[in-house]
Amino acid sequence: MKIAAFLPELLRHIIRKPATVDYPFKKLKVPKDFRGTPFLHPELCIACRACERDCPAEAIEITAISDVEKTFKMVIHNDRCVHCAQCVDSCPTTPKKAMDMDAAFEIADFDRHNLKAEWVYVRAVQKPKAPAAPAAPAAPNTEAPA
Amino acid sequence: MAVLRTFLYLLVYPGVVFLFVYSTFAEWFDRKVYARLQNRMGPTHTGRWGLLQPIADFVKLMSKEDIVPERADKRLFTLLPIFGLAIVSTAGLLLPVWNFDLAAPGFTSFPGDIVVLLYLLSLPTLIFFLAGWSSTSFFSTIGATRVLTMLFGYEVPLFLSVLSPALLAGSWRLAEIARFYQQKPLLILPTLLGFVIALIAVQAKLERTPFDIPHAETEVVGGTFTEYSGKKLAFFRLMTDVEMVVSAGLLAAVFLGGFPGGALIGFVQFVAKTLFVIFLLSLMRAVTSRIRVDQVVSFAWRCLAPLAVLQLLIVILIKGFLL
Amino acid sequence: MKVTIPIGPQHPALKEPISLRMTVDGEVIKDADLRLGYNHRGLEKLAEQKTWVQNIYLTERICGICSHSHTTCFVQGVEKLMELDPPKRGLYIRTLVAELERVHSHLLWLGVAGHEAGFDSFFMYTWRDREVVMDLLEIISGNRVHYAINTLGGVRRDIDEAQRAKILGSLDTLKKRTEYYLMIGANEPSFVARLSRVGYLSKEDAIALCAVGPTARASGITQDVRKDDPYAVYGETPFEVATADSCDVLGRTVVRVKELLQSYNIIEFLMKNLPNGPISVKAPRRAKPNEVVSRYEAPRGENIHYIRSNGTDKPERLKVRAPTLGNYAATIKMLKNGFIADIPLIFAAIDPCICCAERAVKVVDARSGEERTLRFSELRRMAGRRFEKVSQKRNAVWPF
Repeated sequence: MKIAAFLPELLRHIIRKPATVDYPFKKLKVPKDFRGTPFLHPELCIACRACERDCPAEAIEITAISDVEKTFKMVIHNDRCVHCAQCVDSCPTTPKKAMDMDAAFEIADFDRHNLKAEWVYVRAVQKPKAPAAPAAPAAPNTEAPA
Repeated sequence: MAVLRTFLYLLVYPGVVFLFVYSTFAEWFDRKVYARLQNRMGPTHTGRWGLLQPIADFVKLMSKEDIVPERADKRLFTLLPIFGLAIVSTAGLLLPVWNFDLAAPGFTSFPGDIVVLLYLLSLPTLIFFLAGWSSTSFFSTIGATRVLTMLFGYEVPLFLSVLSPALLAGSWRLAEIARFYQQKPLLILPTLLGFVIALIAVQAKLERTPFDIPHAETEVVGGTFTEYSGKKLAFFRLMTDVEMVVSAGLLAAVFLGGFPGGALIGFVQFVAKTLFVIFLLSLMRAVTSRIRVDQVVSFAWRCLAPLAVLQLLIVILIKGFLL
Repeated sequence: MKVTIPIGPQHPALKEPISLRMTVDGEVIKDADLRLGYNHRGLEKLAEQKTWVQNIYLTERICGICSHSHTTCFVQGVEKLMELDPPKRGLYIRTLVAELERVHSHLLWLGVAGHEAGFDSFFMYTWRDREVVMDLLEIISGNRVHYAINTLGGVRRDIDEAQRAKILGSLDTLKKRTEYYLMIGANEPSFVARLSRVGYLSKEDAIALCAVGPTARASGITQDVRKDDPYAVYGETPFEVATADSCDVLGRTVVRVKELLQSYNIIEFLMKNLPNGPISVKAPRRAKPNEVVSRYEAPRGENIHYIRSNGTDKPERLKVRAPTLGNYAATIKMLKNGFIADIPLIFAAIDPCICCAERAVKVVDARSGEERTLRFSELRRMAGRRFEKVSQKRNAVWPF
């Protein structure tokens, strides 16, 4: 057993810069695909409610405002959100998803109700996929193309 | 006129105001060194480089609510911090911060003042014990008994090692000891063993790692200080800081040759030498981990006390053959 | 003179609330009594009301340090229920995150052991190096804690070449630092004096009291779910089970450091042999009625999940047996005849994760042997009735 085995390493650190980042005066950059706050691209949403169904914290609320004009309102309750990004995974729109995650994590506020974000939009129409090849040779060919 | 000068000595320099301000500076220095050794920043944002952090802590504690436990002995509980602060401040007055006129001893420098200083420095231990005992909470009682158990370990090596240079210099007066080593600096070398032992014993007296058993946070919550809050806790913390400065001053005066050179250079030497001792104490604090109280006593009696006796022997031999 | 001192529920030595009431004589502990339930959150009941996908994120939040172990244990069980076969690449990524979590958890534990012993410098250095692992996990999964990388049928995110190279590069730094900590831990006299011969648990006691994880492995028992019952890709990964023979806290430290070094080798193997292919298969919404038991080697020991489904999209019952729950009985044995000064270290040596272990209370009638599961509201009513009678007396002694 050596006495003061730690000593050389300790003394070396007096001249080195500290490992602490002087937050909030200096901030670290977050990596790509960091899970920050969810937000919506309203022009792409088809209001299928998959995100509302799969959210573990019941943080997404979609209400139909008008049936005629097909407008919907989505409220994301950021005070309930656990930042799991399951909404982004469940969103079925292609080629770009309507739900997206940004890199904002400094969203603290004094009032819980200031953390809600809402969008009012008209439901987008999903472009129809190319017609699929017939599944089996015995499929009836009275089926109209999609 | 002399009365006014005496009052200035007592209250401003090297008295109460200077001690308090310098001990907060010493606490900042200790915390900054400890943090830098661990690759951290330490106090940074209160005042430039965090210099005002200990004062901010003191002010914050003074403004907090003061709770006295129901079953505690109220008078003792309240008076102990005040007594403690008074005792260590009086001990600070005895340090040879100026070069006193050696021919005319005054009330701050007289033959035997090293013994008085050591005695005044062992009273805070008793005060910690009484503080823990009068709190009557279970964790305080455990802390109080640990304080006394440690006293049995480190007191004897501390006394033996601090009195060895005094023996070599042939005087019981701090100013004369300092003057002796200023004139013969080579004689500091034989007392280096005593310096190391005194450093370890002082670390135990100040209750810092590896000897911070009485107020070990993870075991007995706060130890002797569990029930203290508000102004009383502020006074206790200031008392530990002043105790650190006074012990560092004692070690610097006896082992490192005192603070010669008149008012200004003496002051600079005081600051430099005490900061050097405090740096060594912080280093010891960062390198080791806490040991158990029974291990303290066995370590003290198996290692420190024999080495202190050895130091005494060396001093006696040198005094006999060389002087 | 015997005095009873309470450690907890609030105490600086504990990171989470638990009540240990110890009867001491001087500085020696004569008896210890454990009270649980301060961290009960009703997770098992909540799991019955959420769908399979939502439950992945619920089980993840059972604990912060071993979050991936709970979610993987759950997802493995559900994949068995739904008869899914996740692709190889998905399993490799799942195992990679599992091993990275083991690394971060053991480095955290080393720091905590240092802090409990008073060795704060060691604590600061291990946690500084743990940041390397946290940054890696952030790059792979998007978050430093609660990685949420699992989904039913595989994983959610893929690893590209840049990330793979970064992981392999960081392994060198981590290996060097871990070996340095091994040297320090073995050579610093005050630290070793605190750890050795403390918390002795003999091999027979460990088997009889069902100790799991490094607590059992430090008593010489070779027990590791990764070898006994391989899941994910552990069947094809070469590694050794780390054991020690000293049966004390020093042994547990050595076991954890050895496991760290083994984890680095496993991660290197996984990264060098990552197969190509998809990362997940699509999972159905409902599971057929069935029941499954899923086991996993968390950093603290063996984690068991029991899941029962009844054909709907929500589970019928989820039961979690966290590793710390298995180690409690061994802790009581270790505490007897120890010193007060050793309490934090003995308790920290089992790596307690009390929030993992708080589940429903089972009351066993000593005479008839029948078991009842009590709801929290019933316990509250019972306590109210009991205290009504007690406070009638003057100077009632509050049981705490």
